[in-house]
Amino acid sequence: MTLVDDLRAILGSDRVHSHPLELLVYNKDAGVTTGEVVAAVLPETTQEVAACVRVAARHGVPVVARGAGTGLAGGAVPTEPALLIVLTRINEIWDVDTVARTAWVGPGVINLDLSRHTEPLGLHYAPDPSSQAACTIGGNVGANAGGPHCLAEGTTVAHILAVEMVTADGDVVVLGGKAPDPPGLDLRGVVVGSEGTLGIVTGVLVKLTQNAPAVRTLLLTFDSIQEAAGTVSAIVAAGIIPAALEMMDRPMVVAVEAFINAGLPVDAEAVLLAEVVGLEAGVAAESQTIERIAGEQGATSVRIAADDAERALLWKARKSAFGAVAQAAPDYYLHDTVVPRTALVDVITEVYAIGERYDVQMLNVFHAGDGNLHPLVAYDSREPGKTEQVRAAAEEMVRVSVAAGGSLTGEHGVGLEKRDLMPLVFAPVDLDAQARLREAFDPEGLLNPGKILPRGSRCYDYGLTALPGEAAP
Amino acid sequence: MGPTQAQLDTCVTCGLCLPHCPTFRLTGDEVASPRGRIVAMAAIATGELPSDETYAGMMSFCLGCRACEAACPSLIPFGLMMEGAREQLAEDQPSFTGRLRRLLVGRLLNVKWLLALATSGIGILQKLRITRFLPRKLRIARGLRPLRVFPHTVVGVHDNTPAEPAGSVALLAGCIMDEWFPAVHDATRGVLQMAGFQVHSPERQQCCGALAAHEGAGDAARRMAKQNTAAFAGYDYIISDAAGCSAHLKEYAEWAEGGESVAGRTKDVTEFVAELIADGRLPRAEKPNGAVAIQDPCHLRHAQRITSAPREIVRAAGYTPVEIDPDGLCCGAAGLYMVYEHETAEQLGEQKVEQIAATGLDTVVTANPGCEIQLRGHLGNGYRVLHPIELYWESLS
Amino acid sequence: MMLRQELARLARGLIADPIAGAPEVEITVVPKSYEDAAAVLEFAATNGLRVMFWAGGNHQDIGNQVDPDIVMSTAGLNRIVAWQVEDMTVVVQPGVTVAELEASLQQKNQTAVLPEAPGTETVGGVVAAGLSGWRRLRYGPTRDRMLEVRLVTGDGRLVRGGGRLVKNVTGYDLPRLVTGSLGSLGLIAEMCLKLWPLPEAQATVRVDDPDRALATAYRPLALIATPHGTHAYLAGTHAEVEAQCASLGGEAGEGHRWPEPMVGSHELALRVPAGDVTAQLRLLADLGCDYQAAYGVGEVKLVADGVTLDDLGTLRDAAESAGGSLTTIRGKSDFDPWGTPPSSVELQRRVKAAFDPRRIANPGILPGGV
Repeated sequence: MTLVDDLRAILGSDRVHSHPLELLVYNKDAGVTTGEVVAAVLPETTQEVAACVRVAARHGVPVVARGAGTGLAGGAVPTEPALLIVLTRINEIWDVDTVARTAWVGPGVINLDLSRHTEPLGLHYAPDPSSQAACTIGGNVGANAGGPHCLAEGTTVAHILAVEMVTADGDVVVLGGKAPDPPGLDLRGVVVGSEGTLGIVTGVLVKLTQNAPAVRTLLLTFDSIQEAAGTVSAIVAAGIIPAALEMMDRPMVVAVEAFINAGLPVDAEAVLLAEVVGLEAGVAAESQTIERIAGEQGATSVRIAADDAERALLWKARKSAFGAVAQAAPDYYLHDTVVPRTALVDVITEVYAIGERYDVQMLNVFHAGDGNLHPLVAYDSREPGKTEQVRAAAEEMVRVSVAAGGSLTGEHGVGLEKRDLMPLVFAPVDLDAQARLREAFDPEGLLNPGKILPRGSRCYDYGLTALPGEAAP
Repeated sequence: MGPTQAQLDTCVTCGLCLPHCPTFRLTGDEVASPRGRIVAMAAIATGELPSDETYAGMMSFCLGCRACEAACPSLIPFGLMMEGAREQLAEDQPSFTGRLRRLLVGRLLNVKWLLALATSGIGILQKLRITRFLPRKLRIARGLRPLRVFPHTVVGVHDNTPAEPAGSVALLAGCIMDEWFPAVHDATRGVLQMAGFQVHSPERQQCCGALAAHEGAGDAARRMAKQNTAAFAGYDYIISDAAGCSAHLKEYAEWAEGGESVAGRTKDVTEFVAELIADGRLPRAEKPNGAVAIQDPCHLRHAQRITSAPREIVRAAGYTPVEIDPDGLCCGAAGLYMVYEHETAEQLGEQKVEQIAATGLDTVVTANPGCEIQLRGHLGNGYRVLHPIELYWESLS
Repeated sequence: MMLRQELARLARGLIADPIAGAPEVEITVVPKSYEDAAAVLEFAATNGLRVMFWAGGNHQDIGNQVDPDIVMSTAGLNRIVAWQVEDMTVVVQPGVTVAELEASLQQKNQTAVLPEAPGTETVGGVVAAGLSGWRRLRYGPTRDRMLEVRLVTGDGRLVRGGGRLVKNVTGYDLPRLVTGSLGSLGLIAEMCLKLWPLPEAQATVRVDDPDRALATAYRPLALIATPHGTHAYLAGTHAEVEAQCASLGGEAGEGHRWPEPMVGSHELALRVPAGDVTAQLRLLADLGCDYQAAYGVGEVKLVADGVTLDDLGTLRDAAESAGGSLTTIRGKSDFDPWGTPPSSVELQRRVKAAFDPRRIANPGILPGGV
C-alpha cells in the first residue's frame, strides 16, 4: 500500500489529492518559496487528522499542516516532500460562552467569520491580521498571528485559552482549558506560534472580547515618515495605548488607493491610521489628544471616519496593502521585523537608505504602535539577478532592525523565510534549548521539519560537558 | 487565446480572494479556489504541466461569478482569464459535451425561431402541468416563469413616445430574456419612456455573447459582439435588463473592434433608473408597500460593482430592501453551470434559499434571469421572484 | 560533606546561612550572577543533588513537596536591569520585590500589573508561580506580559528566549513556558515585562449583582466578590470612570481598595470557567469559607481552615467536573495540592526533561509528579 492508498482508505478519494496539478496548487502559501507536496488531504474530524498523522509516520513521511495558505513566511510550505494536512474543512464554531466570553472553534474557521458569528452577542475575536477575511484561526495559532489591533490586545497567544492537538504519535491531547491557569506547564503557550512543529491543532478555545461601545478612527497625514513616526512615540508617551496605530508611506497609499477608492491622500509622504476604542467619554478625549499631538508633530490633515462604513473602508484599505503591491510589480518580498518603539525613526530612515543603495522599489506599511515593520520590496523575479538583489537588501534591513535591539518577526512567524536568520538574535545555546523543546514533542522530527530552527541547532555536546562559562552567550 | 502572461503575473497569491469564492467556501479546497485556478492556468500556460482532464475539471468547476475579482487588491481580470482558459481548453480538449454546450450557447440560442419553438414547447408542457414531473436535474425548467405558447419578440419594437425624447435608448433584447421574460422588458420600456427616453430594440441585434464567452466559444462571442456593435451604433445609451448581459456589453472592448463604444454607452437598467430616480426624473412611491429580500446577481455586484442601485429602486417602489447575504455569494445558477455542475449548484441554491427563508419574506428581487430561474426552482410555491424594475413599474401603475 | 566542600570551592563564597522557613538543607546558596547560578546547577545536575529555588518565600507551598539537597535563593539577583520608559518595558531580576518594582514604575505612571498587595513577594516568585493580580480581567494574566526570559536550566545552561519587544514571535515562546513552571525547568534569572500606563482616574463601586455588572460594564479592571459584598474596580479617564460609576449605580469611592489578605493558614485557589463562579460560591457559602472571587476571570481564593478533607474533595470534584481545578496556594495539609493531573502529563514530563534532564530542579513539584 502506498501512502496515497492508505490515505484514501481513511478519507476516500475525493479528499486526497495526488495529481501533480493539484499538488502544485498546494506547494506554496502567500509568500515566495515553494516546496514539494506528495499528497494533500482534507480531513473533517480530529480522528481523521490523527489517522493521517499515524499513516504518514508509518511511511516515514513528514506532515505539514495548512489553513488558508495566507502565511507569508513559508510556514505551510514543506521543506522536504511531505503530506499536507489541510484543515479548512474543520470549521465549526461551538460552545460559545457569553459569560466566560469564550468559544471553541475548528482550526478551519476563518478569522473574520468568527467575529461576525459572535457580533450579535456583542463580542469579537480581537487579533485581526490583514488577511483576516481569508486566514483561518488554525493558521493564526500556528503563526501566533498579529494584526493592527494587537497593539492594545496582544497577539494570538493572548487570545487562545486551550488547543486540542494531534501529537506526533497520532494521540489527541488538550492543552490549557477554559478555567484560568490550569495546573502544570503552559504547553498551550508554546504550541501557539509553533507552526505545526509540535503537533497539529484540531480545535481551539478562543477568548472573545467585548465590542467597544464607541470607536473613533483617525487618518492623519504627514509630509514625512519621520513626523509620522514621531507622532506614534508622542501618543504612547502621553499614556495612550490606542487600539491600533498603523502607518503607510506614499507608494503604498498610491497602490492601495487604486484598488479601494477611499479618498486616501496619494500626495502625502506618510499616513497614520489611529483608532481609539472604549467608552464614548474616553474615546472623545483620546482622539482629541491624538489630534493635538499630530498637529504638534506637523500633521497636514486629519480625517475622522464619520460612520462604520467609512471606518470599514479605511481598514479595508490598510488590510489590502500586500495584495495591492502587484500593481507595482509581479513579485514582492517582505520582512516583518520588530524594533523597540523608540528605535522606529532611526530604523525606518536606515531602511529607506538600504532601499536606495540596492536600487529596489520599496513600499512600506507597518504596525507603528508596536514597532512592527513590514518593509516590502516589489520586483520582477524574471529579471536576472533581481531576486538575489532583493533578498540581500531585505536581509540588510533585518540586520539593521536586530542591531537596534529588534527581532526577526513580530507576527508572520519564522517559518522558512527567517529560519536561517535565527542566529542573528539567538546564541547557539538558546537555539539548542528550543531544539530540545521541539524534540520533546516530536522526537522523530516528522512535524513540519526544517522550520523555525536552522539546521544544526541541536548541539548535542551542550549541557553537562560544557563549562557553564562557555555555554553562556 | 488563454490568459495572458501579464494577467497571470498580476497574482501575488495573497489569498484574499479565497473566502469570496463560493466553490472554495463549499470545499475548503485550494484546488477549487481562484488562486489555485490561476496557479493551474500559469502551469499550463508555461507548459510546466500538460492540459489534462484534471485541469479541465478545475476550470469547469468555477462558477464565473467573479466575486474574487471584486475582492482582489491586485485588480486581476479573473473573468477574462477564465474565459480565455476555457477557450484554450475548447481547442486543447474538445470533448463531446463541451462541443454541445458551445453549440448551444454559440449558435442555437441565437437562432430566433428555434428558441421560439422551444419556448412554445415548454409553454405547452407547463400548461399541461407536466413540468412538475421533471427530474431534479432539470430544475431550470421548474424555475421558469409561465411561458407564452405564442411567443413574440421585442426585437424591432420602436417606442417613439415621447415625441421630444431626453435621449435614445437601445434595449438589448437578449436571448432568453426576450422569450422568457417579456414582462421585464415591458417594465423597462415603460419606466424609460416615463423618464422621457425613446426606447428602441434594434433589428439585427443578437444575443450579447456572454454565455458563449463563459463557455469558451470565443469565436461565436466575437461574432456576436461584432454584430451588436453595429446594431447599437448611434444610440445614446445601451440598456440591458439582465445583469449578465450588461456586464458582458461593458467588456466589448475585449471582444469586438469598436467595442469600447458599446462598453462606454452601456448601463444596466438598475444603475440607469436609480440615477434617474436620484435626479428626480422618476417618481418615488408615496406610501410604504412592505419589505422585499434583495438578491445580488454576481454580474451586477461583483462584475459591475453595482449594489446600491437595485436597493434604491426598491425603496423608490415603496419597499424596504432586506439583505440576505453580506458576502453576496453566488446562488449557483451561473449560466449553464446549474445544469452541468448540478450538485454544486444545488448546494449553493439551497444556501440561498435558507438565507431568504431566514428573512421571513415572500418576495425576492433579482436583476438577472439566471438567478431568478435558480431561486424559483429552489423556493417553490408561495414566493414571488421578480426583477426590481418590475417591482418599481408595478408600484407606479 | 565532600560535595559541600566541592560546591563551596566552585561557588566562591555564595554559601549562606539557612533561610528561615525554608526546608532544612545542608547547603543554601545565594548566586550573585547568572553564571554563579549556572555553575551551581551544573554541579547539582552532575551530582544528582535536588535544588529548590527560594524567592520571597510567599508561594513556597504551591505544588508537591520537594525534598531538596540545596536551596537556591534569588536574594542576590535583585536588580532592575533596564527600564525602557518610552518602550514601556522593564528588565528585572527575580529577587526584586513587587512593591519595589511597582513603586519605581509609578514614578512615570506605569505599572507591570503585578499583584496589588504584595508584601514581601518578589517578581521571580510571582512569575515562577504564574500568579496574576486582580487587574487580570482587564490586562490579562502576568504570562501575557512576559516578553523575554533568561533561564538557567536544570543542567546549568544559561538560555534566553523571547525578546525585549512588546510584539515578537521569533522562536518558541519560552517566556510563557517558564511562567508558572514553579522552578521545574530551572532558575528564572531575568525577565523582561511589558508595562501599561497607569490610568488617570480610578474608582471602586459596590455592586449588587456581579453577573449583571460583568455583562454591562465595559472592561472593568476587576470585579471581586467576597462574603461581605461585591466591588467593581474601574479605571480610565475621569469622564470614563464617572460614566461607568453612574451606569453601575452602586455606592462609589475614589481609588482602588483591594481586598485585604484573608486570615487563615490553609489557602486554596479554585479555578473554574468564569461562568461557573456563582455556582461555586454557593458551595463555599455552604461550607462557611471566607473567599475572594474574581468574576469574569474564574479564580476564587478561599480559606479552607476547618473544612474537612471530604468536603474539600467534594469541592474539588465540582471544580474539576466544571473543567477547573482546586489547588493549594498557601499552607500545608494532607489535601493533595493538585488533584487530577492533566491529560498532557507525559508531554509535560518530556518538556521538563528537555530543560532539566537530571530532574534536579524542584523535582516532582508539578502535577503528576513531573
